[in-house]
Parts: sequence; C-alpha cells; structure tokens
Amino acid sequence: MKEWIQTYSLIDFLSMGILLTTIAMNALKRLESCIKAYTYNSWLLSMLIAAVAIVAEDNHLYLASLITLFSKGIVIPLFLKRIVRRMKVTHDVEPYISNTLSLTISGLLVGVVYVALKKGIFVAGFSSMALQISIAVMLIGLFIMITRRKAITQVLGLLFMENGLFLIGFSLTYGMPAIIELGVLFDMLMGVIILGIFTIQIKRAFASTDLDKLSILKG
Amino acid sequence: MEYFQFLIIIIFAPLVNGIIKKFKANMQGRQGPGIFQPYYDLIRLFKKELVISNISSWIFRVTPYIVFSSTLVATMMVPVITDKVLFGNMADIIALIYILALGRFFMALAGLDAGTAFGGEGSSREMTVAILVEPAMMLSLFTAAISAGSTNLSNIVNSSASLYTPSHILALSAFIVAIIAETGRIPVDNPDTHLELTMIHEGMLLEYSGRHLALMEWAHYIKQMLLFTIAIDIFFPVGIASSTDIASLATSTAIYLLKIVFIAFMMAFIESTRAKMRFFQLPSLLGGAFVLALLSLLSYVIMGK
Repeated sequence: MKEWIQTYSLIDFLSMGILLTTIAMNALKRLESCIKAYTYNSWLLSMLIAAVAIVAEDNHLYLASLITLFSKGIVIPLFLKRIVRRMKVTHDVEPYISNTLSLTISGLLVGVVYVALKKGIFVAGFSSMALQISIAVMLIGLFIMITRRKAITQVLGLLFMENGLFLIGFSLTYGMPAIIELGVLFDMLMGVIILGIFTIQIKRAFASTDLDKLSILKG
Repeated sequence: MEYFQFLIIIIFAPLVNGIIKKFKANMQGRQGPGIFQPYYDLIRLFKKELVISNISSWIFRVTPYIVFSSTLVATMMVPVITDKVLFGNMADIIALIYILALGRFFMALAGLDAGTAFGGEGSSREMTVAILVEPAMMLSLFTAAISAGSTNLSNIVNSSASLYTPSHILALSAFIVAIIAETGRIPVDNPDTHLELTMIHEGMLLEYSGRHLALMEWAHYIKQMLLFTIAIDIFFPVGIASSTDIASLATSTAIYLLKIVFIAFMMAFIESTRAKMRFFQLPSLLGGAFVLALLSLLSYVIMGK
C-alpha cells in the first residue's frame, strides 16, 4: 500500500483534486453544487491525510483524517444544505465579476503561487505540490469571499480558506498535535453554525441573503 | 502497411458516429437507427443532384473539397495503429491544429457566401467557439508536447511512459471539453437538430446539398474520429504497435477500436446526461477548460509534474 501510494504519486493527485474542486467553486452557480464542491474538497483532504498517514506510518494522522471526514465532509455540508433548503434559495445571484473572469483570476492566482514558491522556501515534505496548492486554495477561498454577494457563498469561501490553511499547516508539519486540530475543528463547526444562524436572521430581516443590503440604513 | 493507417479513420468515421447515435438512443430508451445509417446517408447524398444558389461565388463550390482534403491531410499526420506516420517529421501537432483551422475558415466563409441569415449566424457562432476552444486545445497539447520534448505526434506517442502525472489528467479534461466543442456535441451544439435558434455547425451547412453536403458531413465525421484518435494517442497510447508485423498490427487495431468505442460511449453518456448550454454561457465552460489547460501547463513546467 505504501509503495503503491509512492509509485503512483497519489498524494500529488489528491492535492490536485483539492485544487480543482476549489477552482470549480468559481464556475458553479447553484448553491447546492457549491456545497457539493466543498464536500468533495473535504473528502479529498481527508483522503490525503490518510495517504500521508500510510506513508509516514503515523497513527495519530488516521484520527485527524477521520475527524476531518466527519466534521468537514459530513456535518458541515449537511448543515449548510439544511440552511439552503430552509431559505428556499437555489441560485446564487450574479457575483460581482463574471464566472469566466473569476475562473481566469483563480487560474492566475495559482500561477502566481507556483512562481512565487519556485525559488522561495523549500520544504522537504511529503509532496512537492501540496504546499503550493494549499496556498493557492487559501487565496482562491479569500477571492471567493471577496467576490460573492450571498452570505452562504461567503461562508463557503471561508471554509475553503480553512481547508487551505489546514493543508498548509499539514504540509509543513505533518499535522499538528491532535488537541490543536480538535480545537480548530470545533471552532470551525461553531463558526459555521453561528454564521448559518446569522444567515437565517439576515434572510428574515431583509428577505434576502444579499449582504449588500446590510449597508442600507434602517431608520 | 503502416502508411495506410489513415484509411482506418476515413472508413470507420461514419461508423463511429452511428455508434454514438445508437448508444444515445439506447440510453434514452429508444431503438434508434442502425449503426450503418451514416453510410446509407452519405451514399444517398452522393447520388443526389446539386442545388447551388445563384448568388453564391466560387468559394461556395470549392469549400467542400477544401474542407474534405484538409481533414484528409490532418488524418495522415496522426498515428492510429502504429507509431509511424505517413508524414514522418512533418506530423506536428501545431500544423495539425491549423490545417483543421483552414477547413473551418473556409466553412465559415461558405456559410457567409450563400447569403442566408442562418449561414452567417452559424459562421459567426462557429468562429466565436473556435476562438474560445483553440487556446484550451493548444495548451493541453503543449503539456503533452513538453513532457515528450517534441511536438511530433509519433514522438509523443513513444514517450507514453512519463504520461502519468496530475498535469496530464488536467490536460486530458481540458482536451475532452475541447473535443466536445470542436465536434459540436451537446453542451455546446446539438448535432441532432436543425433548430434555427441554436444550431452552429448545421447552420453553415444549411445551403449545401448532394455530394457537397456528403463531403462536408463525411469530413465532420472524420474530424470527430481524428480528435478521438489524438486523445488516445496522447493520453492513453497503451497497446499501439511499434513493429509492423501482421500479428501486432491486428492486436493494436483491436485495442484501438475498443478505445474508440469507449470514447464514443463516454460522448453518448455526456450527451444524454447534460442539457445544451445557452450560447452566452459557453465562455464560462470553455474558459474553465482554458484554465484547466493553463494549470496543467503551469504545474508541468514549474513543478515538473
């Protein structure tokens, strides 16, 4: 199993999959498919951690992989889906810039990261690709947060950013101690739940989840 | 012997279209026409008389021959069952793409030449799609070319061992989108209807009849199978013969036909499960393909994977 992962450079493929699901988020219009992209992203992340666990023969990473799968791959997507269903919105409104442009910009972001890290710090980690890709994922997540109008898509941008951050930490350190990971995940979970409740409140107050409406003064 | 491999594409191209149609019909629960129907259509069209509009110029009459012969030249550059090709060192992917573009250019001119509204509409749409597809297709081919260290198709086929990296998967997915757009299949164009509002490829052929139409249709089938063959050559060349004895040629022909049927099945599957996109949403799909191809090239050049 270990040799198999190394000969076929499975870790590189998984990191590439994480990058692809993040970029796909830029092209998707329906909220449900955005959530699906996030779900696949988390599953790939969890698979990547498991693959590294097998290669590095580190048992605590299996736990990290399972926790990631459970919280980010199952609980958060289900919760987001419930919110979407409760709000009865299926389509995201047009983002501030068109889909094609945001796809191109996220492609360029990846290129910038590749070039910037080419001669920068070199980390002899488990994969030569994971660090670059994780930083790119984080930047694209930030980009999604900037360019989307709806509360839910901004939450998704935050979640993608968090996945990227997790992967950065992971590719530099082979995973932080379990207690820190648990703490971060718990934070995330709480954050998503609070943001979800906020979203529903915004929807109730403004009859829309368009965050631009928050800047309208109420008298 | 290996110099006649392009005949396989020319002879089997209508059959591949028939197979795609049959798969599609079966997926939709219909019986559908037989897989040899495209041949009957072509034979019937060759027998019919020509109707040519009075106001059309020589471009209209010469285009079917240019389209057919440019496609024919392109097939001679592609390794089908052996890694040697008729054109040897001239079998270059950049030349190949632009020889196909020559045919497309004349097709668009002929669409305008007949002077009907639909022809002009089809030409304008075809060129728009072409502009969007070309970068994606070129970049994904360049990824393969850089990893092989050559733009020659037979060299690319021979260096198949290094072709298992993440960037090749990206290039393949971009190339598949490009194939769908180039062959006028469903998310981009609907090959089954002549609906005025949506047609792209059919719009340009609307004024053609008789043997001109037959040549254009045949060239389209050949182009479709040619693109499938390029995808096979670049991304899964396993099983292609490097010697020219009868036994290895026979096995590689069988493997090649199996791969083609598999791609036909995939195309039918995509066509049956997707809805046609609005024309103005196409830049989003094709821009996505471009970004994928760009990423594959970047990660190959910068990270070597």
